[in-house]
Amino acid sequence: MSEQDVKYYILFEDYTHGMALHELMLADCVPHRIVPAPRSLQGEVSCGMALLVKPEDVEAAKACIERHQAVHHSIASLAGQIKPMRDKYC
Amino acid sequence: MADYVQMWKDLGMDLETHDLLCQVLPTAVGDVFMSQENRPTAMDFWDMVISEVHGIRPAELVEAQKQGRKVFGTFCVFVPDEVVIAANGIVTGLCGGSQFWVPAGETVLPKSTCSLIKASVGARLGKTCPFFRIADMYVGETTCDGKKKAYEILGQDVPMHIMDLPQMKREKDIVKWKDEIAEFAKVVEEFTGNEITAEKLGNAIRIINEKRKALKRVYDARKSECLPISGRDALLMIQISFFDDPERCAQMCNRLADELEQRIKDGVSVVPEGTKRILVTGTPLAVPNWKLHNIIETSGAAVVCEEMCTGTRYFENLVDETAATLDEQFMALSERYMKNNCACFTPNTGRIDDILRLVKEYKADGVIDCSLKFCCLYDTEKYAVSKALKEAGVPVLSLETDYTDTDAEQLRTRIGAFIEMLHE
Repeated sequence: MSEQDVKYYILFEDYTHGMALHELMLADCVPHRIVPAPRSLQGEVSCGMALLVKPEDVEAAKACIERHQAVHHSIASLAGQIKPMRDKYC
Repeated sequence: MADYVQMWKDLGMDLETHDLLCQVLPTAVGDVFMSQENRPTAMDFWDMVISEVHGIRPAELVEAQKQGRKVFGTFCVFVPDEVVIAANGIVTGLCGGSQFWVPAGETVLPKSTCSLIKASVGARLGKTCPFFRIADMYVGETTCDGKKKAYEILGQDVPMHIMDLPQMKREKDIVKWKDEIAEFAKVVEEFTGNEITAEKLGNAIRIINEKRKALKRVYDARKSECLPISGRDALLMIQISFFDDPERCAQMCNRLADELEQRIKDGVSVVPEGTKRILVTGTPLAVPNWKLHNIIETSGAAVVCEEMCTGTRYFENLVDETAATLDEQFMALSERYMKNNCACFTPNTGRIDDILRLVKEYKADGVIDCSLKFCCLYDTEKYAVSKALKEAGVPVLSLETDYTDTDAEQLRTRIGAFIEMLHE
């Protein structure tokens, strides 16, 4: 599994915390996207958002969180999550 | 993670089965959307909505119900949202776009029913979609035989009103649709307890027109040689627009359009120069049906326009805002909605005209005409669509599919060959 296949997911208890950090990261120009948290990272029966960060941006994301004391649950890494030609739809 | 479990329990949902859907959604969203590079920043709104698709908006609707408002679930672009909004009601789309819901639909419907209808019925009966649980009243329409029979089944489980859409477009048919809209207004007034006045309906007409204008701005940006947004992202935007608050939808679409227009000025494209441009036409692509767009756009082409209900038919043509009385407004609504070129009409040459016009406007190199299996209407129209496009010198590929993943490899082969042919 290459480094590029690994993605980092910033997890939250509540989507309002996620949106707050999303705005902070936008302002700080830290590349990221809003995604549904992968099921393997969710602790309970629930849908929910996460922020997806590439490996090269994860340190900047951590610094942004630290700088703003942003509320978040945890940061987890997963490999092989995104495969555009997997053809597994909902 | 946000906890909506209590809300889902209160809605009477089957949590165990619903959780299976929650498991597959992140994978599909990751593969289809997060694999793209250089997406518009303003897509963050729709990323957030799809990430919390069974949470945030359903919670808003439940809260509105607590304030006494009624939620109307609709299945078709012919149902006039304006009438519901004028009575302080809320509209939510209900079309099912997932194979996940199909088996529950097949418990009461023949297998030889299209996936969209089976999924829509299955989402209600299987108790696995909050929108289907929340809607106080469903509003159906007579756009196909499958839907008409499905509404009879759904009507045993939830209050249902059916609008009888004419199947031709003569002057008397437009008057008939106007009368149907007036009758629907009475039903909505009675159900909500709120009177619809000309002032309220006029305001609602303006709200929905603004939404249409905003959606059109995003689509207009896709006409540029410099393509600022992928077809997958544009599809997600329009799919969600059926569920969202119309004023917020307009605001977010305008925000996205601002960015897209700036991208065009800056020469920022999401695809390499020379990428073939595809117009997709056919049966609607209800959320989360992203299969066709994903296969096209991971096969070296870009989708630049959708001539379908989840596309141009949803926003083209505005309702005349100058009508002063309710009677005139109902007629203005009828005139606008009857311009929709659905395959339920005979003849439906307007759809051919639309496709030919849109091919030019969006600079499409080819057309993919795709219908759901067992949709007799769109399947039959493929002959006329294909004939007209060939006569105009526009390459066309006719396909049939459903919501399963099993034909994906076959679709990849056919679509890949079509795109390769466009390069010759």
